Formats: sequence, structure tokens, C-alpha cells
Amino acid sequence: MVKILHLSIIMATLFLIPTVSLAFAAESAGEYIDRKAEIWNLFFRLMVVAFVVGGVIAGTMVWQVWRFRESNPKAKPTPYEEKGEL
Amino acid sequence: MGHSNWAEWIYVAVVIALLVYVGAEAWNIENLIEHTPEDAEIIKVTAQQWFWSFEHEDGTKEVGELHLKKDHAYKFEIRSIDVNHNFNIPEYVVLLDAIPGRINTVWFSPNQAGEFDIQCREYCGLIHYNMRAKLIVEDV
Repeated sequence: MVKILHLSIIMATLFLIPTVSLAFAAESAGEYIDRKAEIWNLFFRLMVVAFVVGGVIAGTMVWQVWRFRESNPKAKPTPYEEKGEL
Repeated sequence: MGHSNWAEWIYVAVVIALLVYVGAEAWNIENLIEHTPEDAEIIKVTAQQWFWSFEHEDGTKEVGELHLKKDHAYKFEIRSIDVNHNFNIPEYVVLLDAIPGRINTVWFSPNQAGEFDIQCREYCGLIHYNMRAKLIVEDV
């Protein structure tokens, strides 16, 4: 439990607090902006996040399929398989 | 079944952090592009089948053409007097519905002189495809 608390504090410091404060900093707007640049830059940033997440998920699935295949020498039978119930 | 779940907690924390980041970034930009500068000139935009008309603050009216000055801010008050339309200037990423009975607003500041297209982006009837106007940005 203590570990989880520590982890939460670290995550909050690294990500949550900076992003929330960034969002509240938007009060100083009302200046001339290049609408096209702002919107496309947002799109690119979010696409970076989307592709990184997609890559990690796809990579994890490929690794799982490879690691837990039946023919893997490191594969261990499940308790059910050991007992011959399956 | 007892098992260590620290990896799951890290996973949950990373997902929450990413969602907060995405939400905060989008909210920030949304605020930025919706906050109209004080000195923005108001242009009343009227959509009707199948043309655009514009009225400047000084009362000047234009049909099918809109003359603006480079590096000035403009706030469009968009309305429709018949069916739903959509006011779109692709080059400046301006896109907003024109709905009968409502006035929708959007602002922008042209930073390039030249001629640009204005078009309707909501199917509005037979001649929707040709419901266009010209945006002329003058370098004054």
C-alpha cells in the first residue's frame, strides 16, 4: 500500500500537476494566434500519444503471443494441464 | 488468487496520466482559440440558399466577397435565414454551423494576404456545391 502511495505521488508530480497547471494557464488568452498552427500542433501532439500507446499495446500483444505459445521451451503447463484435467 | 499487482497499478497510473494530458492539452487549445481579442471587428455573416452575405461594423455590406485586412482580428457572427449551413474558410481552419434562429460566433486573424475560398460545408440543397464566396485579405 505504501508503495502504491509513493507511486501515485511520483506520477502526480511527473504528469498530473504539470498538465493541470498548463490547462489553467490558458486564462491569459485573448491574444492574436495562428489558429491553423495551434490546431494542427494539437493534432500532432495527440497523434504522437495515440501512436505510442498503439505501438505499446500492439507490441505487448505480439510479445504475449510469442512468449506464451505452446512450442516455447520455457512454457509451463497450467495446473489443470499437469493434472490431465484438460 | 494472490498475486503482486504493482504492474497493474503502474498501468492504471500511466493511462490516467495520458488521459489527463490529452484532456488538458485539448482544453488549453480550445480556450486559446475561443478567446476573442478585445479589438476584434465584428462581421455579421448571413447564410441563405445559396450564397453568403457579410456586414461590416461600419454598415458596409458585401455579397459573395469579403474584404478583410491582414493581421487584424475578426469575429464572425454567423446566422442562417433558411436551412442549416456551415461557414468554412479551409485555409484558416474556420468552420462553424449556421443554424436558423441562432447566432454562432468564431474569430480568426488572417496572417497572409491573398484570395481564399469560403464555402458551405453542410449540405443545404440543390446548389450547395456552389455556395461559395471569396475572402480577400488585403495587406494594408
